[in-house]
Amino acid sequence: MKGLENFIYTILGSKKKKRMVLVLTALAFVGTLMMFPTKLVLAKMLPGKSDNTFSIYVDTPTGSSIEQTKAVSECVIDTIKDEKEIMNMELFLGQGVPLDYAGLVKGSAMKHTEDVAEISVNLTDKHTRDEPSFLMVQRLRPIVKQKCDSVVPGTNIRFIEQPAGPPTLASVVVEVHGDNLEKIRSLSMDVAKILKKTDGLVDVDVMADDIYDKYELIPDKEKIARSGLSVKQVNNILYLAFEGMQIAHKNSKNNPDQIPMFLILTKPSKKLASQNKDALQSKLSSLNLMNKKGMLVPLSEVVNIRKVKSNPKIMHKDLDRMINVTAETDMVSQVYPLLDAREKMIKYFSREYKVEKEPGMSTYMFDLHLTDKKTGERFLLRWDGEMKVTLDTFRDLGGAFIAALILIFLLLVVYYKSFVLSGIILLGSFLSIIGVILGHWVANWFTQETFFLTATSLIGFIALMGISSRNSLLLIDFTKSLMECHGMEKRKAIAVATATRAKPIALTAVAIILGSALLASDPVFGGLGVALISGTVAAVFVSLLFVPVLMHSVKAMDFEPADHCDVNNISITK
Amino acid sequence: MGKEIKYQVTDYAGKLAKGFLKNPLTPVLGAFLLIMGYLSLTIMPREEDPQIAISGGAVIVAMPGASPREIENIIINPLERKLREVKGIEHIYGQAFDNYGVVSVMYYIGENREDANLKLYDKVMQNMDKMPKGVMQPLVKPFDIDIDIPILTFAFYAKDKKVDDVKLFKTVRELQQKINAVENVAKTTLKGARKEQYNIEVDMGKLSAYHLSLGQIMKAVQSVAVDVPDVKGRTQKNKLVIFGVKNAIESIEDVKNVIVAQYMGSPIYLRDVAKVTDGIDIQNFQTAKVRFKTDRKEKLGKEKSQVTLTVSKLAGTNAVFVADDVLKLLKQYDARLNKEGIGYLVTRNYGVRADEAVNELMDHLLITIVIIALMLVFALGWRESIIVTFTVPAILAVTLFVAYLSGQTINRITLFAFLLSLGLLVDAAIIVIENIHRHLHAHDAEQKEMGKLLVEATDEIGAPTNVATLAIILTMVPMAFVGGMMGSFMKPIPLNVPVALIASLFVAYIFTPYLSLKLLKKPTHKHHKGGK
Repeated sequence: MKGLENFIYTILGSKKKKRMVLVLTALAFVGTLMMFPTKLVLAKMLPGKSDNTFSIYVDTPTGSSIEQTKAVSECVIDTIKDEKEIMNMELFLGQGVPLDYAGLVKGSAMKHTEDVAEISVNLTDKHTRDEPSFLMVQRLRPIVKQKCDSVVPGTNIRFIEQPAGPPTLASVVVEVHGDNLEKIRSLSMDVAKILKKTDGLVDVDVMADDIYDKYELIPDKEKIARSGLSVKQVNNILYLAFEGMQIAHKNSKNNPDQIPMFLILTKPSKKLASQNKDALQSKLSSLNLMNKKGMLVPLSEVVNIRKVKSNPKIMHKDLDRMINVTAETDMVSQVYPLLDAREKMIKYFSREYKVEKEPGMSTYMFDLHLTDKKTGERFLLRWDGEMKVTLDTFRDLGGAFIAALILIFLLLVVYYKSFVLSGIILLGSFLSIIGVILGHWVANWFTQETFFLTATSLIGFIALMGISSRNSLLLIDFTKSLMECHGMEKRKAIAVATATRAKPIALTAVAIILGSALLASDPVFGGLGVALISGTVAAVFVSLLFVPVLMHSVKAMDFEPADHCDVNNISITK
Repeated sequence: MGKEIKYQVTDYAGKLAKGFLKNPLTPVLGAFLLIMGYLSLTIMPREEDPQIAISGGAVIVAMPGASPREIENIIINPLERKLREVKGIEHIYGQAFDNYGVVSVMYYIGENREDANLKLYDKVMQNMDKMPKGVMQPLVKPFDIDIDIPILTFAFYAKDKKVDDVKLFKTVRELQQKINAVENVAKTTLKGARKEQYNIEVDMGKLSAYHLSLGQIMKAVQSVAVDVPDVKGRTQKNKLVIFGVKNAIESIEDVKNVIVAQYMGSPIYLRDVAKVTDGIDIQNFQTAKVRFKTDRKEKLGKEKSQVTLTVSKLAGTNAVFVADDVLKLLKQYDARLNKEGIGYLVTRNYGVRADEAVNELMDHLLITIVIIALMLVFALGWRESIIVTFTVPAILAVTLFVAYLSGQTINRITLFAFLLSLGLLVDAAIIVIENIHRHLHAHDAEQKEMGKLLVEATDEIGAPTNVATLAIILTMVPMAFVGGMMGSFMKPIPLNVPVALIASLFVAYIFTPYLSLKLLKKPTHKHHKGGK
């Protein structure tokens, strides 16, 4: 302890050395902050977590049959079936897997068409498995896509992992807003193209129906009326023949449910020769309707067939027409590909549109406003999904952080009745950010995957503020008593106080470091652990070196020996 | 000189230390806290992720024959405008399809779910008079995450060929009834179930040969497939005679023998023009398959048809217990299922996951406590270390108890809040014990009475420790106001860390001096020195 006391004492005695401490601290502070723009430390809301399960969503083009969807799904299952770690795979055709956190916001429960399927893949227990699920997904994704994307052209296969935090629609979501349906459709296709070309983005999907050919049967009202039929009858018979209908029920004692009676044409008589108008025409001619007089009228007589394009669904968000384009990130933070893609979009759309950036700072600050140069129509490209949640969270946490700063400052002002002393403590505790950032940089070396600065790191940093202000606080308090009660001169008092408080400061620091050591290995709360460990180390240095120097430099620390003081109150082990 | 001056206790720290130092109730209080904490730990509901109160719902309106553009104009736009009037809705999503439209709303996170559901329903019902013609009754479906996310899923499959899809379905349906009766089980659903159905597949060629239309066949079947309730007749003496018409269709044979029409005087039966079978619902394309293996080294088995049974729990109940109960119940049916040739696979068990996550973190907590205790042995001595180590479970017990009283559950985030506060909450105790340690080894220690010394040592660091702890608490408080999903996800941190810190102060001031009095002694070498 004597060594530290002398060390501090010497530093405080020389102006040059004091300045050096301040300059070094400032350099460290600026240096670590520079790690963000230089991408030495990357930010992300939450990292991936290894799980015992993941899902694969198969979306064949709108209008595909369940048989086609099944073919793609089976291709996927066949491709990965020999993976050692896969214990079982469940295929749900025409529906979603039993609802989970990921599916909750991805509309998994709403799936009920023939062009969707979901596969649930259950792995061996994560404790006995070497490869985390997110690395496995990353490895399998290109293999599966390469093999099965071509089974039915236009198929979209997505790998869905369980989110570590709150679920979002996708990592990157671009909402294309606008009134012109055709235009937002083509815009969203362009956006998807750009996202596909961006490094780090995978599973790009435009959440719009594909347009396919369909045939419209237009009932000829006059002919129908003249043959003694009704339009309703025509509609019904068509549905009955090709889709089938439950026409009656039977209740049963030994059956858990009612037994429906289902009427439909046999498969051979239902099947069309080919996918064209003539085949449909000839099929309809053999389907007869009975009129009121008991005469049979072929269906083809009373309807006209016309080939049309299907009507894609229309999506609204907050009363505005829009189309979503989604993409997942491949083991990287969504921030950097997003900025990358945004640059590309500005360049690409500038040819036909006037591109304006969203003015001001908000959580929609990456949005782009497009104005068609010819027609003057306005469109909006809005970034949503994880990015929006990240920005919202970081904004709120930042707000929480500033609120915490103000609260601590006020508390200290009440306690010390001095702005300068409170300022020193606050500055001291703020500097623990050096350790937090540096710690992430170091942790990145030791981990296989990128170690991101996450929302939990921020929580750790906020908590650190309190911890390091406690160190400085005890230090100032002690110096104050030494000066007031023992009449020690300022320089000596600060040196003695620093040396005496070094032990409890170090002890509590070690307690925090050890307490957080196990946190650091957790994928989600690793950021918190690392922030606490490295931040505490920095805080110790700051409170034992930087704070004493500041204390020595300010007038507010000039305490006079007080007479009401009991000398025995403070006893110092020498 | 100053030795005789009475020490003036100035801080709450000193007052607490003084009040409890020689109080016989202090150990009772300690034991009480520990027991309360342990009880809370065992009975608090456990889950893996914290519950996020997401409220929202969907209004589904069907209008057969309308195109998406028509649906958008007639249904989506007016409905969206109306729903705009509801307070607390964050986003409105409209989707217009062929024949129907869906408007879903998402409320702000944290909106009361019952109120939110009611408001949505209310708004739709209030405007029923404005419904366009030809539109079917709207369906209002609220999202219910607790109930909608199953904690358990089972895949039932046929082990041998003699079990067909219908038999599988019937057995699973029976089990579903039993499982739904288990306490705290909320919703059970079947996925990929194939139900029994009488299929009447009409041959179009034969139809035209007999000069029949599909409509006739439909009418013929419908006319016999009617259930009539029993009728009551009376005798002359006013006694009741009950008689009823037996259902015309009892089996598949009855369906086959339905007379569709008369042709040249002879009846045409349904079996003549159609293939009538007792089969499964062929129109249902929502099937489910499973491939599995039992050992890591094996290859995946062949694809099998399966029926998935999903089980979800009531909100606020313990996932671990519910899952255990259901699994226990299912175990009883093992033999029967085996005999019938049906196997099953547990494909999801959040109960185990919740328990694992909680237990893993409990282990981490214990390891961390042990590590800190070891560190303190070297730094302060083993008696001091024991004292600090005791304060940790006491503080955690208080925090757990408060969490239980405030209706929280034990989940990953709660435990992380504990781990986070672990480093912080030993601080108060360390600071107190360090100061006591210092006072005991001070040169004037032997002249002081032990109790007085302890109170003094505690009181001395009281004020700065209070302020410092208050500072840490203040950093946590604003976190409670973080909005959105993330805010609710990590809510346990601002809820529990401040409680733990306050508890750490009280425990440090009450129990550290008390235990020091029992365990610590003034260093003896001082006496020798004094004796010289």
